[in-house]
Amino acid sequence: MEKRKLWHANWALIILTVIIVAVGLANLYSACAIRLEDGIAFRPFYQRQLGFVGIGALCMIFAMMFDYRRLETIALPLFILSIVLLLLVPVIGKEVGGARRWIPLGIINLQPSEVAKITVMIMGAKLLAKGKGAMGWAEFFKVLFMGMIPCMFVFLQPDLGTSIIIMAILGGMIIFRGIKAPIVKLGILLLLLSPIFIWKGVYPNLKPYQQQRIKSFVDPSAASRDALFQRDQALIAIGSGQTWGKGWMDGPQNNLHFIREKHTDYAIAVFGEEHGFVGSAALVGLFCLFLLSICATARDAKDRFGSYLCAGVFFYFLWQILINIGMVSGMMPVVGVPLPFFSHGGTGTVVNFCLIGIVLSVSMRRFVFKTS
Amino acid sequence: MRIQLDSDGNQLPKLGLLILQGCVLFLFFFLVLRLWYLQILRGDYYESRAHSNRWKDAQIYANRGLILDDKGVILAENSPAYSIALVREDCPDIPAALAQVSKWTGLSGQDIQVNYNRARKESSQSFAPLILVPSVDFDQLARIESQLVNWPGLVILSRQRRYYTHGNMFAHVLGYVSIASDDDHKKFPELSIGDTVGKQGLEVVLEDRLRGIKGLNAFEVDVHGRQLFKRVEYKPKGGENIRLSLDVDLQRAATAAMGNNAGCIVVMEPDSGKLRALVTLPSYDNNIFTAKLSGAQWALLRDDPRHPLHNRVIQSVYPPGSVFKLPMANMLLQMGVDPNETVFCNGQVTLGNRVFRCWKKGGHGRVNMTRSLIESCDVYYYQMGDRAGIDRIHDFAIKSGFGRLTGIDLPYEKSGLVPSKAWKRANFPKDPGWQRGENYNTSIGQGFTLVTPVQMAVYVSSLLNGGKLMKPLLVDNDDPVITGMAPSTEKERKFIVEGMRQTVYDARGTAKRILRTDAVMGGKTGTAQVIRLGDVRQKTEEMAYQHRDHAWMVSWGIKGNKKYVVVVMVEHGGGGSSAAGPVVKAVYDHLFAEDVYGPLPPVVASGAARQDVNIDEVYTEEVLKAAEDWQKEAAE
Repeated sequence: MEKRKLWHANWALIILTVIIVAVGLANLYSACAIRLEDGIAFRPFYQRQLGFVGIGALCMIFAMMFDYRRLETIALPLFILSIVLLLLVPVIGKEVGGARRWIPLGIINLQPSEVAKITVMIMGAKLLAKGKGAMGWAEFFKVLFMGMIPCMFVFLQPDLGTSIIIMAILGGMIIFRGIKAPIVKLGILLLLLSPIFIWKGVYPNLKPYQQQRIKSFVDPSAASRDALFQRDQALIAIGSGQTWGKGWMDGPQNNLHFIREKHTDYAIAVFGEEHGFVGSAALVGLFCLFLLSICATARDAKDRFGSYLCAGVFFYFLWQILINIGMVSGMMPVVGVPLPFFSHGGTGTVVNFCLIGIVLSVSMRRFVFKTS
Repeated sequence: MRIQLDSDGNQLPKLGLLILQGCVLFLFFFLVLRLWYLQILRGDYYESRAHSNRWKDAQIYANRGLILDDKGVILAENSPAYSIALVREDCPDIPAALAQVSKWTGLSGQDIQVNYNRARKESSQSFAPLILVPSVDFDQLARIESQLVNWPGLVILSRQRRYYTHGNMFAHVLGYVSIASDDDHKKFPELSIGDTVGKQGLEVVLEDRLRGIKGLNAFEVDVHGRQLFKRVEYKPKGGENIRLSLDVDLQRAATAAMGNNAGCIVVMEPDSGKLRALVTLPSYDNNIFTAKLSGAQWALLRDDPRHPLHNRVIQSVYPPGSVFKLPMANMLLQMGVDPNETVFCNGQVTLGNRVFRCWKKGGHGRVNMTRSLIESCDVYYYQMGDRAGIDRIHDFAIKSGFGRLTGIDLPYEKSGLVPSKAWKRANFPKDPGWQRGENYNTSIGQGFTLVTPVQMAVYVSSLLNGGKLMKPLLVDNDDPVITGMAPSTEKERKFIVEGMRQTVYDARGTAKRILRTDAVMGGKTGTAQVIRLGDVRQKTEEMAYQHRDHAWMVSWGIKGNKKYVVVVMVEHGGGGSSAAGPVVKAVYDHLFAEDVYGPLPPVVASGAARQDVNIDEVYTEEVLKAAEDWQKEAAE
C-alpha cells in the first residue's frame, strides 16, 4: 500500500524541487563568500540554510506521510492557533528593523505571519471545498471574511508584503473555484476603483518607510539615495550578466558587495549576474515547470479539498516568485518578499518544504478510495 | 478516526485550471521578457555601469612647469593646497552642508553661498565638485577630515596650486592660472573638472608647454569605496620648466625706481630682442587669482581707477611725444634734408590763426638737425614735418615698427596708431580731411599717434642692431626673431644714435640726467601732452593728476659687451627728463652695477662692441671729456 502510494507521488515535483533547492544553495554559497586577500571566508548564512533545508526535507517527508484529508478536520483549530500567535506578537514579539514580526522560540524565531499564510490556505481550501460550481455572494463573503482577520493583524505588525500575499493566495483560490458573474463584475469594478482606495484609504495609513518604498517606485527621484542605490545595483548586477553571465562565484557586483541583501531578497540578482540571461531564463523556466507540476496535482487530486489545497500552494509560490523577481528586476516596488529556495530564511524554507509535502501527500493519495 | 470522503467525486473547475496554467505562462513570458530587456538589450549599458562601479579612475596630477628667471630664481611654482568642495549628486541636503562648511571654516555662510552659486553657474554637471572654500589651513583640515564621513557630498580636494613667489612684481608677465571655465573645457578636452588653466600672461601663452600630461591610476573598489587593487595606467609627465630672460634683481630695482608712479619700464637687449625687465605699475598680486577670487576682490581690481590689471607695456597706448622726433629725423634724412640746414626757433610758429608753441619759451634760436634732437626743438619739426607731409611720416613710422604688433608672447597686445590721410578720411568722414596743423602735431609726437612702450623699445633697438625689428622675447632660450627691417640706412641710424648720445652728453641735452661716465649712453626724452595746452602754462604740480603730461624716456647704454635699451614711461609724470630720467638712471645703475665706481673701460677694448653697434663716433675721448666737464659743472 505505502509502496504504491509512493509510486503515485508527483515525482516531477520532487525532482524539480531538488534541482531548484540545489541551484538555490549553490547561489547562496556564492553570495555568502567574502574574498579576502588570502583566500575566501564565508558568512554563516550558507551553512544555516543547509540546516534549514535538512529540517525542511524532514518536514516534507512527514507531510507526505500525513494524510492531507486530516487537515480538513483540524483546519479550524489550526486557524485559531495562528490567530492567537498573531495576537501574541505585539506582546512577546521580537523587534527587528522597526517591525515586530517574530516570536523567539529558543534557537529559531517563529514568524506567525508565515504560519497564518498556511492556515488561511488550509481554512480557505476547506471552505471552498464545501460547495460546488461558481460561488455566490454568501460563500464569497464567508471566505473573504475568514482571510481578512489574520490579514489585518499582519498588516498592523506592520508587514504589508505578507498581508498582501495572504489575500492574493486566497484570491487566487477563489478564482480557481470560480465565482458568479455579479461578483466578477463587482470585482472588476473594485479593481478599477482600487487605485483611489489605495491612495486615499491605505496609503496614508502606511508607515513612513512603506510609503517611501511606494513613492520611490512611482517617482524614483523621491527615493532615498540608499533605496535607489539598492535597486540600481541589483539592476546593474542582473544586466551586466548579459547572455552567459560572469560565471559562478565570479560576479564582481556580488564579490564587491554592491548587491545588498544578496543572501535574502536579492539573491536572484547574484544569480542573474553570474549566470546571465541563459541561466536566469532557465531558472524562470524551472520555476514554471515547478508550478505546472503543482497544477497537475491540483487537477489529479482525488477530492476538491486536495485540489484547492494545491491551488493554494500554487498561488503561494506564484506570488512569491513573481513579486520577488519583479521587484529585483525593477518592475515592482520594493516589498520584502523572499524567493523560494533562494533566499536565506528558516521559517520560509521549512514552510516551503511543508507545502510541497502537502502537495505530494495529495498526489500520493489520488487513487485512494474508501479506507474504512 | 474516520476519514470523510467526497461521495460525488472531484469535479474540478475547468476554467480554474486554465487560469492556473495561464498564470504560469504569464509569469514565464513576463519575467523572461524583462530579463531579456535587462541582460540582452541593455546588457552593454549595465556592463559598463558595473565596470565604472568598481573601477575608479584617479588622475595623478602632472606638475605644472616652473617658471624661472634668467639666473634660475623661481618665479612660479606649485604648492599643495586643500579646498572643500561639494558634489551635488552625492549631497542630500545642500543648505545644511553649506552651513556646516561655514561652521568648520569660520567663513560667513553668505560667502560660501556666493562661492557655491558661482561655481554652480560655471558647471552644470551634478558630479562636478563645486569649490566652496578654496584653501583650508592644515590644522582645520585635520578636524574637518575626521567629520567628513557624516557629510556625504562634501569632499576635500587636494591639488597643486600655482604660487607666484614674487606676486606683484611679475604679475603682468606671468599672468595667472585659474579654474578652467566651460569654454576652456571645450578648447582643451583633456582637462577635467576643477583643473586650472592659464588665463593671463605667459601662463596662457605657454599653456601647452607648462601643463604636462596627467597620469592615471585605476582602483578596484568595493561598495564602501575600499580600494582593493591598484593599477597604474600611465605615469604623469610634468610640464616643461621654462627659464625667462627676465632678471629678478633688475626687475626689483626697476620696480623700486618707479616708486608710486603709474607707468612702465622695458629693458631689452637690442641684438637679440630679449627682455631683461618688464615692469608695469601699479600691479596686483596674481596669487589671488589661483584661489577663487571673491566678487568683491575682483570688482576692486577691475574698477581701480589706476587700472592695475592693465599691462601698460603692451596694452596702453600713449602719444609718443618728442621721442617721435627720432624717427622723424631719420625720415628727414631719407627725404634728403641736409642735417646742417637750420631752422630759426623763436618759441612758436603761427599757422593761420593758430599758434604752435615750442616747449621752450623764447625759443632755441638757430637749430640744425642734431641740435633739434639734443634740445628737442619743436619748431624745427613743425616746419620740417610740414615739409614732409603726413603720408611720408606715416609710411616711415609703420615701417619702423609703429602702428603694428611687435609679436611679443603676451596676450592682448595693442598695435597703437599712426595716422594718415586715408585713415582720417575713413575715421572722421565729416571732417574736412587732413589739416596742415595736424602735420605739425604729428611731427612732435602729438595728435593722433599712439604707441606702446614695447614698440618704442623695439624701435630704439633697431637703431643699435643694424635696423632689425626684433620680436621682444621673454623666454631665455627662444631664438631671436626678426619681424622686419627699419627703412633706414646705416649712416642714418648712426646719425640718430649720435644725436641721442649728444642728448645725454651735451650741456643742453634734455637727457643729461642719465649721464654716466662708466658707459656710453644715449637717450631721448618725451613729454606727451594729455590735454591741449592753454595759453597759460601750468607747472606739473599745479595740474590735476589725470591732466598731467606723460613722461617718456628712451635710452640705450653700452658698456663693454653689455648693451641695453631702456624705455621708461611715467604716466602723468610731467616732464620726460625730470620724471622718467631718474628711473632710467636707476635701471642703468643696476645694469652696470659692478662697475659703477670702478675705472672706465679703456676705449680700445670696446672696439668689438663698437663694430657690433657701428657707432664709431660715439665713443670718443672728446665726448667723454665733455661729459666729465658737465658732471663737474653739475656738481658745482
